[in-house]
Amino acid sequence: MKKYKKWIIAGALIVLAVSICAGYYIRRKERENRSYSLVYIPKVIDGTNDFWSSLILGTEMAAQEYHAELEIMAPEDENDVEGQNRFLQKAIEMEPDAILFSPSSFTESDGLLREAKEKGIHVVFVDSYTEQDIQDITVATDNIEAGKILGGFAAGLLDPGDQIAVVAHVKGVSTAVEREEGFRAGLGDLEEGITDVVYCDSSYEKSYSLTMELMEKYPDLKMIAGMNEYSSVGAARAVKEAGMEDQIMVVGIDSSQEAVQLMEHGVFKGIVVQKAFKMGYVGVRETMRMLRGEEYETDVNSGCELVTPENMYTGEIEKLLFPFNTLKTSETAVNTGTNGEID
Amino acid sequence: MREKGPAAALIGKFKSIQSAMFAAVSLLILGAVATVTLVSMNFTRSTIFENSSLYTRTIIRQMNQNIDSYIDYMENIAYIVSSSEDVQEYLFGSGDTGAARERILGQFETILDSRSDILNVGIIGTNGRMLINEGRESVNPDLDLSTQEWYTEPLKADVSVCLTSSHVQHIISGQRPWVITLSRGIRDQSSGVEKAGVFFIDLNYSAISELCDQNNIGNRGYAFILDAEGNIVYHPQQQQLYNELQTENISLILEANSDTVLTGKGKNERLYTLSRSVKTGWTTVDCVNVDELLKESNKAQSIYVLIAAALVIVALFLTRFIAGTITSSIQRLRDSMARVQEGDFDIPDVVETSENEIGSLTRSFNVMTRRIRELMDQNVRDQEAKRKSELKALQSQINPHFLYNTLDSIIWMAEGKKNEEVVLMTASLARLLRQSISNEDEVVPIAQEVEYARGYLTIQKMRYKDKMEFQIDVDPAILHINLIKLVLQPVIENAIYHGLKYKESKGLLIVKGFMKNGNAVLQVIDNGVGMDEETLAHIYDRHKVNYQSNGVGVYNVQKRLQLYYGSAYGITYESKVGVGTTATITIPGNQEDSSEKI
Repeated sequence: MKKYKKWIIAGALIVLAVSICAGYYIRRKERENRSYSLVYIPKVIDGTNDFWSSLILGTEMAAQEYHAELEIMAPEDENDVEGQNRFLQKAIEMEPDAILFSPSSFTESDGLLREAKEKGIHVVFVDSYTEQDIQDITVATDNIEAGKILGGFAAGLLDPGDQIAVVAHVKGVSTAVEREEGFRAGLGDLEEGITDVVYCDSSYEKSYSLTMELMEKYPDLKMIAGMNEYSSVGAARAVKEAGMEDQIMVVGIDSSQEAVQLMEHGVFKGIVVQKAFKMGYVGVRETMRMLRGEEYETDVNSGCELVTPENMYTGEIEKLLFPFNTLKTSETAVNTGTNGEID
Repeated sequence: MREKGPAAALIGKFKSIQSAMFAAVSLLILGAVATVTLVSMNFTRSTIFENSSLYTRTIIRQMNQNIDSYIDYMENIAYIVSSSEDVQEYLFGSGDTGAARERILGQFETILDSRSDILNVGIIGTNGRMLINEGRESVNPDLDLSTQEWYTEPLKADVSVCLTSSHVQHIISGQRPWVITLSRGIRDQSSGVEKAGVFFIDLNYSAISELCDQNNIGNRGYAFILDAEGNIVYHPQQQQLYNELQTENISLILEANSDTVLTGKGKNERLYTLSRSVKTGWTTVDCVNVDELLKESNKAQSIYVLIAAALVIVALFLTRFIAGTITSSIQRLRDSMARVQEGDFDIPDVVETSENEIGSLTRSFNVMTRRIRELMDQNVRDQEAKRKSELKALQSQINPHFLYNTLDSIIWMAEGKKNEEVVLMTASLARLLRQSISNEDEVVPIAQEVEYARGYLTIQKMRYKDKMEFQIDVDPAILHINLIKLVLQPVIENAIYHGLKYKESKGLLIVKGFMKNGNAVLQVIDNGVGMDEETLAHIYDRHKVNYQSNGVGVYNVQKRLQLYYGSAYGITYESKVGVGTTATITIPGNQEDSSEKI
């Protein structure tokens, strides 16, 4: 009968609508509760390097908060491109949901990354990136900005004609290139004072010996700028060793306990510190948001801050320089996991 | 009649009472259920909210007291150590201080061993003497103590104990832990009132986090501590907070007048419950997500909504069912009435068993239709009788003028000794009279009507001698068809008196009979003077036909034909001035049903 047909259709529509809603809800819940596996490959695992330690701590805390399984693997040497690629290969074979990657080389890892993408693994760049636009998300410091801040600060310390040497970490790597570019821009006219640029291949020892050579070569050198933790700390060690801290000002990028000590000692005049913890944390957070199908940002600038002997004991800088490593950090991260999204 | 109210007008918009009732009751139920649900939802929500925040307030006050007594305990340690004579001797004494140093170290060891939440403990004199922990750690040589608040504050005259909230302790080289420091100035008792040293205890967060995380039972929220300036003393996500990955609305907490504050919107709405400590100046804050807090209430709300929805659906079906039963009898009644309105009274009684208003309405309707049916049957019978008598009356009218004129003609002919003609005319007249009187039947076969007409025409032709001629041409196929009596003759009479009589020359009258479209058609055609349109238009009027000699007019014929055969049949005229007139009589060719009617 026609009358009843109308009612049957109405009933069917209601049932359909309810089941669609329920299905959507269940799917969403599933997506939220599903455990995702992530692999993070930093450039190096090195306990003395605060930058990488903080970054890794950030990824671990975010992973805990978002209930992701995170495996971290990296070579012991920051310049070991082949070693890093071996880990990348291994990570691809594990078929995780996403690989977070801090490429040591601007070009050498693209083939493997493309292979990962073809396998359906998401690729997230943390700290640095490669030649090809292959990533889903990039979380990094704006390295040009970091260089510029350092350059601007250095310019305030120098007089026209002063000689400057740059100790960079790895030739061709994106962070080194951009920081140097920013540093030069920040110096302005004083840029002409840059007499030499050397590369230490992210080794304290090489940076130390290169700096020794520089000081010999340019006896009137006024400033040495390190482009990462290895290069700046190595340079500062050399300057301290040579007792030249009154003549040569050392500025650098990235801090460590040793760098802080050297700043207290008066060797470092300024350090631009990246927000490493934030970088790692945001990297995992945005990756998880992407995997869960929520809104996420594809390009995050995690920011940086200038530290000088004058401000190093202020609360804001202490928060940045010294990781808050209490006994219960890991435990509390679990406890408050449900509230992690309140930022 | 009263004006219709807006409600009535609204209900009037519906096609049926059923849908009006359905809509009204649905609206009512929906409104009632929605109101009840909303009210109880709100009530549940506020009750749960009240209970939870009361519970939280109790907990957070307790927590604040615990922290106070914790700090109290540490102050006691500070008091005991800093007032000991060993400390005086070690810091300010001259000569050998080795024994005092050992005793102090022993004291420190006891403190450090018994409390895992104390990271460092030490004394520092303004003269540069210091003793920290086991006395073995190397002191950071590059640290300028005057930049450290925990050192400078207690040296001020008006501060006895200083509590420094979360900061980095730089004093031991190679270690830069985050700590909370409690420090106390030490007076040099030998020299007077001046403070010349500081005792400090660095607390790691194990004890405080334990105190704060008590609250975490059931994942309801978390607690954190602010100092008087709004700096974080402890927060379970301190690292995230320090890296701007988490935020707390600290200014809101500092400015709050009541001990609960709501912040954020929607999913991020949070409830802060505060407890300020007079002793430390710290504020212990419990933060709970309102969503989380109202989880129980949300569960209850979902149940309410589900029940409400189920109720509404059941109610709707019930409403439809009840409205359906009530109105189906009304609809039956309406359908029945619609048929009556169309004129169909042969409907069966509407079946209605209910005893309510509709039942009595239906019964009244049934009685009414039965009564109307009876009245109509009565009316039909009356009409029939009336028609019959009228027909009789019309038929019985034999034109006396004609009789008189004919007899006159016979007399003239007899006087003229025209015997043959007299015989013929008298015979014709006799036959005519016999036919019109003797036959009791209303109808006769066309053949008889034609014979009657022939007799009449014979008489008329003899009377008008050279004035007219006639022809009769009737299809034998229609001769048996019945025709009411005295139809043809009056029409012919009309044609003669109004058509041929005024014609100068000799006229011709033709009677034709044939079948056409299943009807029997008789035509009387004359080539007389004809009629103009005005005369033609009034030909059926009663008065027009009622002149001088002519008793039976066209009106009479037409009326009888239509009374008998229905309005679709009867007589029609066509005429043209100077050419002639054709009268056409149409009757049904197959009269079985109509003849049975009589």
